[in-house]
Amino acid sequence: MEIIEKIKTNKSDDNLTEIQKICLHKLQSSPLPNPKSEKWRLSNKSKLSNFLDYSVNEKDSKFDIPYPKNSQSTIRLIVGENCQIKLLKKNYSIQQLSEDELEKYIKEQISLFKQNENWSDLLNLSLSCKKNILGLKINGSKIPPIEIFSHASSNSLNSKTLVIFLEKNCDVELLQVNLGKENSSLSQSTFFCLKENSSVNHGVISYGKNRSNLLNSLNVIQQKNSAYNLGSLHFKFNYARFEINIKQSTGNAKTNIKGMQITKKDEQISTYTKIEFNGPNGFLDQINKSLADDKSHAIFEGSIIVPKIAQRTDASQLSRNLLLSNLAQIDTKPQLEIIADDVKCKHGATISQLNEEELFYMRTRGVTLAEASKLQLSSYFQEIISFIPISKDKWDLLDKLLNEN
Amino acid sequence: MVNENLVKDAVKEPYKYGFVTDIETEKIEKGLNEDIIKLISQKKEEPNFLLDFRLKAFKKWQKMKEPDWASLGYKKIDYQDIIYYSAPKQKEKISSLDEVDPKLLETFDKLGIPLTEQKKLTNVAVDAVFDSVSIATTFREELADHGVIFCSISEAVKNHADLIEKYLGTVVPASDNYFAALNSAVFSDGSFVYIPKGVTCPMDLSSYFRINSGDSGQFERTLIIAEESSSVSYLEGCTAPMFDTNTLHAAVVELIALDDASIKYSTVQNWYAGDEEGIGGIFNFVTKRGKCLGKRSKISWSQVETGSAITWKYPSCLLLGEESVGEFYSVALTNNLQQADTGTKMIHIGPKTKSTIVSKGISAGNSKNSYRGLVKMGTKATGSRNYSQCDSMLIGDQASANTFPYIKSQQPNSEIEHEASTCRISEDQLFYLQSRGIEFEEAVSMMVSGFCRDVFNQLPMEFAAEADKLLALKLEGSVG
Repeated sequence: MEIIEKIKTNKSDDNLTEIQKICLHKLQSSPLPNPKSEKWRLSNKSKLSNFLDYSVNEKDSKFDIPYPKNSQSTIRLIVGENCQIKLLKKNYSIQQLSEDELEKYIKEQISLFKQNENWSDLLNLSLSCKKNILGLKINGSKIPPIEIFSHASSNSLNSKTLVIFLEKNCDVELLQVNLGKENSSLSQSTFFCLKENSSVNHGVISYGKNRSNLLNSLNVIQQKNSAYNLGSLHFKFNYARFEINIKQSTGNAKTNIKGMQITKKDEQISTYTKIEFNGPNGFLDQINKSLADDKSHAIFEGSIIVPKIAQRTDASQLSRNLLLSNLAQIDTKPQLEIIADDVKCKHGATISQLNEEELFYMRTRGVTLAEASKLQLSSYFQEIISFIPISKDKWDLLDKLLNEN
Repeated sequence: MVNENLVKDAVKEPYKYGFVTDIETEKIEKGLNEDIIKLISQKKEEPNFLLDFRLKAFKKWQKMKEPDWASLGYKKIDYQDIIYYSAPKQKEKISSLDEVDPKLLETFDKLGIPLTEQKKLTNVAVDAVFDSVSIATTFREELADHGVIFCSISEAVKNHADLIEKYLGTVVPASDNYFAALNSAVFSDGSFVYIPKGVTCPMDLSSYFRINSGDSGQFERTLIIAEESSSVSYLEGCTAPMFDTNTLHAAVVELIALDDASIKYSTVQNWYAGDEEGIGGIFNFVTKRGKCLGKRSKISWSQVETGSAITWKYPSCLLLGEESVGEFYSVALTNNLQQADTGTKMIHIGPKTKSTIVSKGISAGNSKNSYRGLVKMGTKATGSRNYSQCDSMLIGDQASANTFPYIKSQQPNSEIEHEASTCRISEDQLFYLQSRGIEFEEAVSMMVSGFCRDVFNQLPMEFAAEADKLLALKLEGSVG
């Protein structure tokens, strides 16, 4: 109940938006997620309570963007910074969703929520005031790359919400960066709606700092012939959860996901994905990588749901994990739930350490063990990083992963 | 395109083991309480330690909740509406098979289980369990010559109490889960096998479980101990008559393998599965676990699951000994409204342990077939390896196939590989076979048998042939 009290004491009832009131009401029946449910059973309870410990903060402090904006055409937005955007160009348009549109869509989504499965979203929408919700409608093609930042402030619990409509035939590249600060918690929920024939290359980079926490949820609805490509990277969080819900509402859509999480020290980072095919001819190719070092814990749970209507679905899911320390642990659970018979579905999972034979080979060629390990790791990382829409000269993620502790 | 009607009209093989043997039985009253447990223990003339074991288990069971995590849909079981002990009436002690009620022998003959000694050629020793008691165990003298003890667990309690006291409940403790606790409280009979040091069991051992009575549950308990450098192959088969009501079967199997010992445990489970409407059938809630205690010990589970309305079964291996090996080969076939939630647990505790999982699920009709498995590498399991492969085949668009593998590793110097796939009977392959003059149903059964080959190869000869035939029969009329 504490969290609800916290939101309420922070604000009088009059200042709460209708969405906040609805979500608070829903949270009242289960103020905390059920620790026995599949989605939360491995989650570190004390870390979650640490997440909720900070006081709610709606104001933003200054923060450093990790790399400069080197191209004039790049569109850069910061959630929470009253950004007014209305770009009406020949080939494309980007504008904010009206308050009514936003409210209507979010309410629709809330009506589909399941208490335990969407706990992170309920928390997010209870916390996010109007200022911290950004709604965008994107139309057209040849759109310059879009960058959207969400960030936390030290010693506080921040909440940011992003709603994006991709109109028909739209094609865009969008990078979302979630930045943690020391001793902070960030709740980030993103709602994506891809209309017919639209396509997006979506990158999500969540980059924390000492003791920062993150609840990151991503809800995607794909209409027919849309293509959703997601490259994601989560690292340097004391506690982070990345929850992905993708629904191909009428099938006939393509989804590609390449995600990675890296845990060190005593961190816990988990990824949960649920991909539902609600129509025929759906396609999914997913790979999730985890690397756990020191005393950390990495978790992946992915489910693919193929009901009877989703004939001729072609879905594959792969979970590849590297366990580098005796005290670290990895849990992985890829799962398939299939009723349709004319489908091709497969999944795989591996957990191992760095390949000894490859290391040996490199050492016989005079490469030191440290260098050889780095080489192997860089090839392991590269597959995912190359899928995130950001160039190496802008922000060298590989260098960050290999050389930062 | 496959002609759906042709297939649906194809002759359906009725469940041929569905007859009831009309025999006088001794039953106790329905319900479960301490007095009932004391009565069962008294009827079996058990020593005090076993009664204590039962009562403790019962107390634990009372505090436990029936698990619901497998999301199996079945109507609530009324545990007070079950008879916990039912036995065919027999004259005093039987000294030879000739004194066994001929009706019983006839029953087992009908089931194709050779109890009479003249059928020695089969070279399989059988322990036949009818409802709550063991009727007969064959080849006992021959086995005794090698020092092998093979008898019903009730006899073992009387004659080898020290072994029972030492090992019973050490692999599956009474508090392990709801159904194991229930079994520990009320188990009636089952088989006991003890293979002494250095002995390779001269023949396959086999248990045959038959539920005959409609209102009694079957709660057998099997305990197999393989001493150092010994080995044994054990087969288990089960059938039940067709009743409109559901019958509960909650068994516990415990295997213990010491240094260099090997146990191969094969099951062909063909309990009555209920009719096409899902009426009747056995609720099969089984806890099977093996402990590889010794170095280089090996436990191998192979199973063909075709029966039961509900199957809830996860034969597991605890790999404690260095370089010990666990294997699990399974074929689970569900049709009509059957539900199977089956898989395995491979818990790697000792160093250099290895495990292999091969699971093949075939779902037809409106059935639900799930693989649920756990592979865990503990902190000391250095150099351990696991390989899992789970394939599902869907027949028709009403059946569901699920895969839930739980994989956990705490040891960097170990490797886990898991792969799963789902497919259906390919029309191209069917067309090819049919164009070569092979009948449609035969072509389907050939393809199913090919799909399951990896598992059938692991079954003992007699079982492999039986399993193949069983699958073909079960699938008849279900392909559309």
